[in-house]
Amino acid sequence: MKRIDASRRHFLRTAAATSLVGPGAGFALNLATMAAAQAQPAPGYRALICVFLNGGNDQGNMVLATDPGSWAEYRKARITAPSPIALPEVGAAGGVLPIVPNTAQAGRAFAVHPSMGGLVNEFNAGRVAVIPNVGTLVEPITKAQWDARNRRTPAQLFSHNDQASTWQAMRPEGARIGWGGRMGDLLASMNTYTNFTAISASGNAVFLSGETVLQYQASSAGAVSIGGLTGSLFGSTAATNPLRSIVTGDRGNLFENEHAKVVKRAIDAQVALTTNMVPTASLPAPPANNSLANQLLTVARIIGARGALGIQRQVFYVTLGGFDTHDNQTANHAVLMQRLSEAIVYFNALMADPDVNAVNETTLFTASEFGRTLTSNGDGTDHGWGAHHFVAGGAVRGKEMYGAFPTIGVNTVDDVGQGRLLPKLSVDQYAGTLAKWFGLSDPQIATIFPNIVNFASRDLGFMNP
Amino acid sequence: MQGTSMRVLATLLVSGWLVGCGSGGGSDTSAGPADAAAAAAAAAAAAAAGGADLGPATDPPATKAAAARFLSQVSFGPNATAIDGLMSSGYSRWVDQQLAKPAGTPHLDYFAARTAELDEGETPSESWVYESFWRTAITADDQLRHRVAFALSQIFVISLADDTVNDHPRGVAGYLDMLGRNAFGNFRTLLEDVSLHPMMGIYLTHLRNQKGDLAVGRVPDENYAREVMQLFSIGLYELNLDGTVKLDSRNEPIDTYTIEDVVGLARVFTGFSWAGPDSSNARFFGTISITDRDILPMRGYPNFHESGAKTFLGTTVTASTPEASLKAALDRLFAHPNVGPFIGRQLIQKLVTSNPSPAYVARVATVFNDNGQGVRGDLKAVVRAILLDAEARDDAAAGAAAAGKVREPVLRVAAWMRAFDAKSTTGRFLVGVTDDPVGSIGQTPLRAPSVFNFFRPGYVPPNTSIAQAKLVSPEMQNTQETSVAGWLNTMRNVVPNGFGNNPPNDSKRDVQPDYADELAIADNAAALVDRVALLLTADRMPASVRQQITAAVASINVAISNPTNLETARKNRVHLAVFLAVASPEFIVQK
Repeated sequence: MKRIDASRRHFLRTAAATSLVGPGAGFALNLATMAAAQAQPAPGYRALICVFLNGGNDQGNMVLATDPGSWAEYRKARITAPSPIALPEVGAAGGVLPIVPNTAQAGRAFAVHPSMGGLVNEFNAGRVAVIPNVGTLVEPITKAQWDARNRRTPAQLFSHNDQASTWQAMRPEGARIGWGGRMGDLLASMNTYTNFTAISASGNAVFLSGETVLQYQASSAGAVSIGGLTGSLFGSTAATNPLRSIVTGDRGNLFENEHAKVVKRAIDAQVALTTNMVPTASLPAPPANNSLANQLLTVARIIGARGALGIQRQVFYVTLGGFDTHDNQTANHAVLMQRLSEAIVYFNALMADPDVNAVNETTLFTASEFGRTLTSNGDGTDHGWGAHHFVAGGAVRGKEMYGAFPTIGVNTVDDVGQGRLLPKLSVDQYAGTLAKWFGLSDPQIATIFPNIVNFASRDLGFMNP
Repeated sequence: MQGTSMRVLATLLVSGWLVGCGSGGGSDTSAGPADAAAAAAAAAAAAAAGGADLGPATDPPATKAAAARFLSQVSFGPNATAIDGLMSSGYSRWVDQQLAKPAGTPHLDYFAARTAELDEGETPSESWVYESFWRTAITADDQLRHRVAFALSQIFVISLADDTVNDHPRGVAGYLDMLGRNAFGNFRTLLEDVSLHPMMGIYLTHLRNQKGDLAVGRVPDENYAREVMQLFSIGLYELNLDGTVKLDSRNEPIDTYTIEDVVGLARVFTGFSWAGPDSSNARFFGTISITDRDILPMRGYPNFHESGAKTFLGTTVTASTPEASLKAALDRLFAHPNVGPFIGRQLIQKLVTSNPSPAYVARVATVFNDNGQGVRGDLKAVVRAILLDAEARDDAAAGAAAAGKVREPVLRVAAWMRAFDAKSTTGRFLVGVTDDPVGSIGQTPLRAPSVFNFFRPGYVPPNTSIAQAKLVSPEMQNTQETSVAGWLNTMRNVVPNGFGNNPPNDSKRDVQPDYADELAIADNAAALVDRVALLLTADRMPASVRQQITAAVASINVAISNPTNLETARKNRVHLAVFLAVASPEFIVQK
């Protein structure tokens, strides 16, 4: 039975003939008018750091319910041969680590993956919160409605690139504008250097693309300078050195022209950023072999430069890959959980460092295209839907879980097959809460997340104002 | 299809022709005094090839620039010899001769040769895959087959970035040979060979995938079932013959498959594991194994296969053995009308242009559906159709604003190597992982970050005139501030110093360009720049850019009597001209 497609908007997977009708000049005009009409947020710095877990993180082994009923169902689903993926129980060697949210959920107890000891400390210190069972949704949907297929759901559920795009841009692959970029559009006027509003340490992502805001790509090498632009090149005279002109000049061919623009941005921004980024040596060294931590170090170095660059609002994008654990999950996922935990601990330490000094001004949040099945395929899991996520930072109202933890098992009210979770919270609500803290007004939030009106609560309450 | 006599003739023609050959001296008759003997020999061979038995070329390139442009589409890059050869043969004959060349097993051959010379303690490594790739790309004379195989490796993706695939580098070499063998074969065969290849079985996790066991809640792994539809055959949305997305009555795209189809198809890809003489449980799990299991197709293990019916895409496969089920399932996918436009359009994007017109796609998809002799999926005919299509051969249209494609880094470096007859000191083309966009070129063949390749076919760079014009530019997915800086810095070093790693006890890098023909004309700045512009940009360098480069080159004084200093000055001129050319947007965008 075919699901009703979610969005009434047109979208394209390729840029072939069909015309695209959607946010265009009209929409941008609305945003601009809205931006002008709203009072600006109070001065001061705020930054959001999106940690995208590529591949679909297994929520089932990251945040667990350890009350006897849940645990029995969990074990039943995950002790399947030949390579059981069930984790050892609380108290056992290598067992899951208990966490106790301030607000109890009747009859439930919780834990996190055994490799996340550092994260447990941050949780207990009030700097991390858990948001359970978040997923892409158009409107709320119950199990019965899912079975009857009589509610709108996002298109291409369970497809990596489409769900990653929906998480980042509220529509499947082909989307050109992401909500991180849109937030940047609305608040970029608070920045002196608007080209540093949206920064990726991890490659191109639709998340950071706005109507006018462009993502800026930084690397652990900082902003890379291009050599040979001035002076003598291969013994030619400095006066005749045409390199800068050749690589940045306007062209008639669209591809040549856009490539030249990227080079021009690289040249222009490099000086400003390199001069002002906090030197690596001034900050704590990252944990070894942790690409996520390395990216967060670059992020911290740039955050530390916010005063010099006159920046008040920034959105960052970093990633960790390898989460598509169809195979060999126990070993692979354990490494990833360790890296994520270390990275969050490291991030909090960086924000507290005197050279960055942004504990209450920065919020890190995890995201992933989907969760995974509860059941095992023999040594791993398949694509799921709802998943649990962490938010971290000084402004987070931590040591808490913001939402009812789902029933664990198959054929439950929260199961859409093989223990895939039917999400109870939407990405819109999760992101909308972050956007509100970031300084956007309710009308602005509703424009970026149109489906948020379908949900009872637009602010999940996990941020201090 | 090809008779023995035709094949012999083709071989003779090619061997005397040096078409696409990376070695040998240049013989560009438009340049200044080159090696006269080589020029004469090449001219004679070209005359013999273009003349005697086959008559004059029916569709020769109008200019050397047109020839260079064609060679960027059909090979890893033009050089002077290839341009001359093509001027004589014309396009069709060139393509037909390339299509007639038999497939070999160059990558497995390389592994065998290296294994025979292992140093103490050395084991086969992933680097051998890269070495063999570069060696083949630069020096093989069946350029078109290898260019198409490289394109196929970006659709039917496996990657050495995956730890488990990385344990079997020889398997990856075998996979690349398999793609090469199928490049001019039938798509149905390609789809089956990919599905049964152990490296794909590892990468998309259907090797050792077991039938379900509801008692314990285990269900078959769905990974391959999803990707074989989404990426390897029919894509996500129903397509018209011209590649455009079909819209329903509400103007929405139409999904080709649902999750139920994935679940149904996943049952087919159960019970496959390593090759071997029996289907014992121990062999399924890998406890016992044969040596060549990494390069032989997977086999079926009935004990682990879902023998019941498998329903997907409106069909039910009732076969009960793994092999029969797989064949029936692939037959169903192959028959889907999406395959021609879905695959055809991507091949056009990889060879010719990022944004083919729908009419062009339709013409190619029509050939896929029927090659003219009632055969569906004839890739030889499809490749021919792509390259000889009027839209591909329209040199004037190449000047349009929306024309062309951004060259991916591997193809840029390969073009530079071929243009200047690069040679490997050791013969092994010692190039390793080149993933770093800052310190290297930002791409390594057979090492994509995911099954979605280095870039997706539908990528649109946001907030650009490309997006506004509703075009795509897949290769710009990896174009950012870091990568553009990395390219310029890397090539400023590579152009004079060569590419790749140093051989043991060698202060120079293993892959060295041969600038002899450029040095010979370096005193004439304009002539030098003209030659470089032809080889690297198919003469698409605008006058203003050309003037700037010429002025910079001319500013290097060559009125020098000291021979050593003169040689240095000439080298500087050549390095400058070549570097500025590879830095230019005109080189970076293939039109």
